[in-house]
Amino acid sequence: MARPSGIISLILLLGLAACDASGGRTETAPGICTISLTRVLRIPISTLDAHTATESPDASPTTLLLSPGATDEPPEGPDGFDVLEDGSLLITDPLRSRLSSFDSQGKFRRTWKIGFRADSVTVIADGLVLVREASTGRLHTYDQEGQPRSVTGDTLPERGEARLQPGQNRGTVSRPSIDRTHGGPLGIQFDKPGLTLLSLQSLTTDQKGDTYVAVEATAGGRASEAINLNKYVRRYSSDGKLLCEIADISLDYYVPPVDELRVHKGVLYQLQTTGSEVRVNVWDTNQPCSRPSP
Amino acid sequence: MLARLPLLFLLCVVLVSSQSNHAQPGVVARLPRATRKEVVARAQTLASHTWVCGASNLRASCSRKYLSDWKPGQRVTGIPYRWGGTDGPEEFDRKLANGLAAGAHSRYGVLSCAAGIDCSGFVTLCWGLSQTGHAYSTSNLRSIAGKPKYNWFTDMKAGDVMNKAGSHVVLFTGYNPDGTINVCEASGSKSRVVCSRTTWSRFKGYIPLVYKGIDD
Repeated sequence: MARPSGIISLILLLGLAACDASGGRTETAPGICTISLTRVLRIPISTLDAHTATESPDASPTTLLLSPGATDEPPEGPDGFDVLEDGSLLITDPLRSRLSSFDSQGKFRRTWKIGFRADSVTVIADGLVLVREASTGRLHTYDQEGQPRSVTGDTLPERGEARLQPGQNRGTVSRPSIDRTHGGPLGIQFDKPGLTLLSLQSLTTDQKGDTYVAVEATAGGRASEAINLNKYVRRYSSDGKLLCEIADISLDYYVPPVDELRVHKGVLYQLQTTGSEVRVNVWDTNQPCSRPSP
Repeated sequence: MLARLPLLFLLCVVLVSSQSNHAQPGVVARLPRATRKEVVARAQTLASHTWVCGASNLRASCSRKYLSDWKPGQRVTGIPYRWGGTDGPEEFDRKLANGLAAGAHSRYGVLSCAAGIDCSGFVTLCWGLSQTGHAYSTSNLRSIAGKPKYNWFTDMKAGDVMNKAGSHVVLFTGYNPDGTINVCEASGSKSRVVCSRTTWSRFKGYIPLVYKGIDD
């Protein structure tokens, strides 16, 4: 007779599958394999003094700075970020005209004194970093040490084009062909009872050819008090199979983000600046995911 | 008498709701009319207005704590953000020439010595309410703009707005094939009027409104 603990282990084993297709265990039927929030990095903030409009003298330089705003003016503060090759984070600190870097555990490393208010950071090929000036939209190029590079004509990498089929809860996302993987359009089918597909956005296609797609969906667009929606991120294999889905993405932003989501080596990052801290929510899609019970 | 209580209650509810969400009929009747094309054209004019920041526009004579978002001689596209401001292109250029500061955030207070426009000033100016000063904010915008009955995610029209009372308002200008949307706004974080493509996530908690003076 099997012991109860053995039975529980067996059930858990059957209910989990690796989102990363390399293990060959990925299946989506009958339910979608979901990844839950893996960890949260918490970065402390300092707040501008409302009377002097300056930083408190004891504000730590290792924090990020926030302006609480006022009636008819949303709060301002960190709203852009990206992940460097080693997994460290680069976050905008616009009220101090600088960027701050944090290690993969959220521990402060150093600042980049860029001298302007940035609202977007994008790591591009060759280890270069594109930083967008908020007040002009101009792009500035830096190396990974934060030294400016005089590169002309740099533009943000183009994301795969997405297209919805109106009223049909499906659409397509174009993706590049990487190392002889499929490439071409990726079909997205969104079947969740009571929800309507609102938008599709390609986040990235990784070196294996897996594509990460952000999906917005709503339960309705009328007769509700205010706009309400959910956001999901899905990982698809190069042959178009849905590998896993992240469904627990909070949209309660204090500072509206410009760079909301980033994917690096199979890990999804979300920047969420609240009134008391900057959170970086992390979902590791390389970890086993779980399927709902039949 | 007791039998009349439900009727009295209903009358009270109707009166209260009409007071809170609607302007006096005369106010609505006096609203300037605007076509959607005109509204979007005004937004684009405000977002594409080009100006150069002079040395005198970096300082605000009425505020000692003021810090400018700009650099001397900087060429900028978009009317600068000024909390409490309602300046259109001509008024802004005139103030700039007179040496007023270019833009200001709420942390410096409402500055009479600065020029620019804020979020509610922007949408009301786009609707053609240029003579009202700053009579409307995100908190009372509903007195001149009604909540539509259509499906917000498919049937919004250019010139409608998405409003969050006490926080921010943006002008909707269109849907994209991927389901994202285009908006124009006076943005504090971007220091100016900008038009951009964005996702719906940013607008969770906002309410779409249709200007009562719109000519469809």
